[in-house]
Amino acid sequence: MLAALAWRNIWRQPHRTALSLASIIVASAVTIFLLALQQGAYGTMEESVLRLLDGFAQAQPGGYADDPDLNKTIAKPETAIARLKEIKAVTVAAPRASTYVILSNGDRSFGSAVFGVDPSAEEKLSTLAGTVKEGRYLGPDDENAAFVGAGLARNLKISTGDKITMLGGARDRSIAADVLTVVGVFSTGSPEIDRQVIEMPLTRFQSDFAMDGGANVVAVGGRSLADIQAVLPALRKAAAEIGLTMRDWTELEPALHDVILLDASFSALLYVSLVVIVVFIILNTLLMSVLERTREFGMLMAIGMRPNQIGAMIWMELLFLAVVGAVIGVAFGAGLTAWFAGRGIAFPDAEILFRQWNMPSTLYPDLNWRSALAGPTAIMLSIVFAGVIPYLRVRGLEPVSAMRAV
Amino acid sequence: MSTIVECRGVAKRYRQGALSVDALRGLDLQIEEGDFASLAGPSGSGKTTLLNILGGLDRPSAGSVKIAGEDITKLDNNALADLRLKRIGFVFQAYNLIPVLSAVENVEFILQLLGAPPKERRARATEMLEEVALAGLDNRRPAQLSGGQQQRVAVARALASRPAIVLADEPTANLDSKTAEDLISLMSRLNESSGVTFLMATHDQRVIERTRRHIVITDGRIASDERRTRPAS
Repeated sequence: MLAALAWRNIWRQPHRTALSLASIIVASAVTIFLLALQQGAYGTMEESVLRLLDGFAQAQPGGYADDPDLNKTIAKPETAIARLKEIKAVTVAAPRASTYVILSNGDRSFGSAVFGVDPSAEEKLSTLAGTVKEGRYLGPDDENAAFVGAGLARNLKISTGDKITMLGGARDRSIAADVLTVVGVFSTGSPEIDRQVIEMPLTRFQSDFAMDGGANVVAVGGRSLADIQAVLPALRKAAAEIGLTMRDWTELEPALHDVILLDASFSALLYVSLVVIVVFIILNTLLMSVLERTREFGMLMAIGMRPNQIGAMIWMELLFLAVVGAVIGVAFGAGLTAWFAGRGIAFPDAEILFRQWNMPSTLYPDLNWRSALAGPTAIMLSIVFAGVIPYLRVRGLEPVSAMRAV
Repeated sequence: MSTIVECRGVAKRYRQGALSVDALRGLDLQIEEGDFASLAGPSGSGKTTLLNILGGLDRPSAGSVKIAGEDITKLDNNALADLRLKRIGFVFQAYNLIPVLSAVENVEFILQLLGAPPKERRARATEMLEEVALAGLDNRRPAQLSGGQQQRVAVARALASRPAIVLADEPTANLDSKTAEDLISLMSRLNESSGVTFLMATHDQRVIERTRRHIVITDGRIASDERRTRPAS
């Protein structure tokens, strides 16, 4: 009956209760939508950036991440590829070698990062092949071909069919020099990549840079980043077995990871503020109700109810409000978010900004258990914990003074 | 006949800033089982203070108060709450029912606090409502009942736990003459049929005339304590 009493008490002032519920519902729905949108944006950002070049994880020789030296090689990349592909979530494992070179065309020379890649594997792993601005991507039969960033092509004044001279230091400390033919120009939208990167066939790279059939990394791809993240322990184990270190995306793109963490921290402040405001609204309403009912509490004590039982009843009222509000809020917020998740939200004005991250200008909220429940649960628990204030207030009441209250 | 209430040298001093007010000054009083007593006196004489102390709602500054042989001045707050629940029934001037509960639920509530099983408490509550002539109005909420009916529910609630004594503070003050007469008759009948002990603080002459014992309190002391063998009917 205490529960029935608490439930009926909250409906004594239906308008007030409706307003309290509305604040919980709106706050819950807002947190669900914003969190899902945020997670969707982060997911898109992570996948877009990683799919462009890095892959979702990389097996590297020890120390390569801190000092990407050409000498730190995977002697038999095919063995590493075969071992990594044994893990179910891995759909592609692509060998790569890379170093820094000087590229020249006539009297124009620019520094560049050159990647030796396996075109067939790379097409499955990287979206770079899909950013062709002119010409085509590298093919399996290409030998001295180069796929050049648009910024670099502009600086060198080259286009498809032109030849460029590459000069660098080989692994055996000899001079690595070659003449490459531009087969295609790419434009990712990231000025940094477009200005610095070229790709060439791995076999030619191995020959030019005395790699002895080796590679520097094996990049790993899967259906989604989450799939690869889920098998990360297995990947680490497999890499360790063949003397390599597995780097996850946070190590491959630490700047992106930091940006996301920073943004998430600021957003957390927003969510906490929202929760605090809602808790204050509800608490204020309940304290008003407690104040109005002090005389009644005196009467309840007079007929034999203990103060802690009355406090428990008040707490139960708060619990009912919080649970009902959160449940409706989850239904409303998740419904709304699911609707947007199906259609996407276009940000046409942010297209240029998003292109820097190789991101589409339409974002899709990521509605999952975490985005659907984290906000409402935080609101609900905060309200319930805040209930200690009215509880203590009621516990401190004396029957006679309470019954004299107006 | 056993003694239900025994007060010895009960004093109550209130402090109001630098001032102190003596509401009760060494009061002695004994209420016997089955008493149907009225407690009268001018405003500020200490009637309500005495009822509060007898009901375990307030503590005396000095003296001892025994309810059914138990010295309640030594009890802590939880034990006093239990005492009020099990041994004392209260009837207030303003009825003081729980507005969101129906008549039967108001009566049942006390029994639930006592831990009675659901079927048993519903049966007892229904029986009590029949006893106070409210059969059929079980499911009405206080706002749907007249003042007299609400006060009857309050009486039923006060009696539901089979208390040692019912303390009533101005029970007829908010009722019209006819309803007040009916309520007095009801309480008198319950006293005679069930032997329930009543102590009623009142200014109402009709209540005073119907009680078999009339106590007058003045300046915090018992001024007179008159027993009548044949109260007015």
